Amino acid sequence: MKQDNSQREPIQVSKLDPNFRSEVIKHKDARGLNACFACGTCTAGCSISEVFPEYSPKKLAKMVKLGMKKEVLSSPYIWYCVTCHNCEQHCPQNVKFFNILNVLKNMAAEKGYAPSPWVEQTQQIMQTGIIFPMDEALMKKRKSFFLPTLRGDGKKAKKLIELTGLDKIKAKK
Amino acid sequence: MNTYALFLGCTTPTQVIQYELSSRWVCKHLGIELVDIDDFVCCGINQINLNQEAGLLLAAMNLAYAEAKGLDILALCAACTGALAEAVERLKDQETRDRVNGKLQAIGLKYNGRTQVKHISRVLYEDVGIDRIKRKIKRDLSKFRVAPHYGCHYLKPESAFEGFDDPDNPKSLHQLISATGAFPVQYESLNLCCGGKSFPVSKKPAFYLVQKKLDNIMGKKIDCMVVQCQTCYLMYSEQQKVINGRFRKQYNVPVLLYPQLLGIALGGDPINDLGLNLNAISLNNLLAKVGINKQL
Repeated sequence: MKQDNSQREPIQVSKLDPNFRSEVIKHKDARGLNACFACGTCTAGCSISEVFPEYSPKKLAKMVKLGMKKEVLSSPYIWYCVTCHNCEQHCPQNVKFFNILNVLKNMAAEKGYAPSPWVEQTQQIMQTGIIFPMDEALMKKRKSFFLPTLRGDGKKAKKLIELTGLDKIKAKK
Repeated sequence: MNTYALFLGCTTPTQVIQYELSSRWVCKHLGIELVDIDDFVCCGINQINLNQEAGLLLAAMNLAYAEAKGLDILALCAACTGALAEAVERLKDQETRDRVNGKLQAIGLKYNGRTQVKHISRVLYEDVGIDRIKRKIKRDLSKFRVAPHYGCHYLKPESAFEGFDDPDNPKSLHQLISATGAFPVQYESLNLCCGGKSFPVSKKPAFYLVQKKLDNIMGKKIDCMVVQCQTCYLMYSEQQKVINGRFRKQYNVPVLLYPQLLGIALGGDPINDLGLNLNAISLNNLLAKVGINKQL
């Protein structure tokens, strides 16, 4: 894997958002960030950091603490997480980085950075209750193996989704 | 007889029906009764990406439906298992549960924290047990060398699984494979993720992770790989073919879902009971080893 070893631009303090850290930690799921002492065990175990060195739980935690709001929320790499939970598995501080990342992704989605596949899946759930459409061919195939028909009703799921505002999230163009 | 609400999830009943078919057959054969609840919806795991609360509500909705029938959930997908079990854990907190129930009220539901969630392999491991499985074996699979793949959400987050197996050094699937008479092969990248959960957003990490594991197990003279999640299945099986085309590779690793392997050993019909003809990588050579000379 080719690494980008070029030096980054210096961090300009005037461009940092000093409130970002508290904005994140306000969420119960992200409070563990305060316990992080940046040892990097999370990144060492990360399935994705190996392929994309640009993605690193340790680095993201530090960026949040510094107030690099725009850089974190607009990063395409936060969506590459495979949710393997390895980052938190050996954390000596028991920080649940998986949950912290979800807080960041939720904030990024609110800011208009949601990847379209996740938005499309939500739209589908509101129709069939699951992330896939159900058509005649599928029902025929299931029937040929004597499997029960699927109801495919998304009305109640839609009601719950609307209560959270998830239905309003637009995909990044 | 143990009875569970069968949680199919999204992908199994639409894309990988051989997993559903073989699971139903194996459970019936081993005395686990499965109840279908057609009000079940997506477990919410991907919605967590965009809105944590929405994901939790979808999970809670499913838990509430199973609870209304007085049943625990048996899930086939590792990710559904993880998402639902994590929701059970979150909803132990009274404040969270009250908030979630306040919203579930809108669709006439309530979750009281009684329904629990188990993956099918865990049910086979704990409820049926290795010894009872061994006593039911009809076909000799001792010629099979099998690479197990657990799936991340089967045992993680660790706090949601009551320590029934160790995520760092898991044993349950190894033992379930041994119970069929097959030999579970040990390999270095055992705990490597299939990459399926971010595959819709970016294919690159998954293609890398899948190849890394296949490279590793190809050197171990294995007959097949056994997975216990339909997403892992799709990544190692369907995507194995895509990778062969796109990266000019020649991987040829048959992939079975655990209930299919167990089903072969229990004497199930390869097509009608186990749907082996639906698997992406041909199983003809594998089955010939146990005297099944049917061309699938």
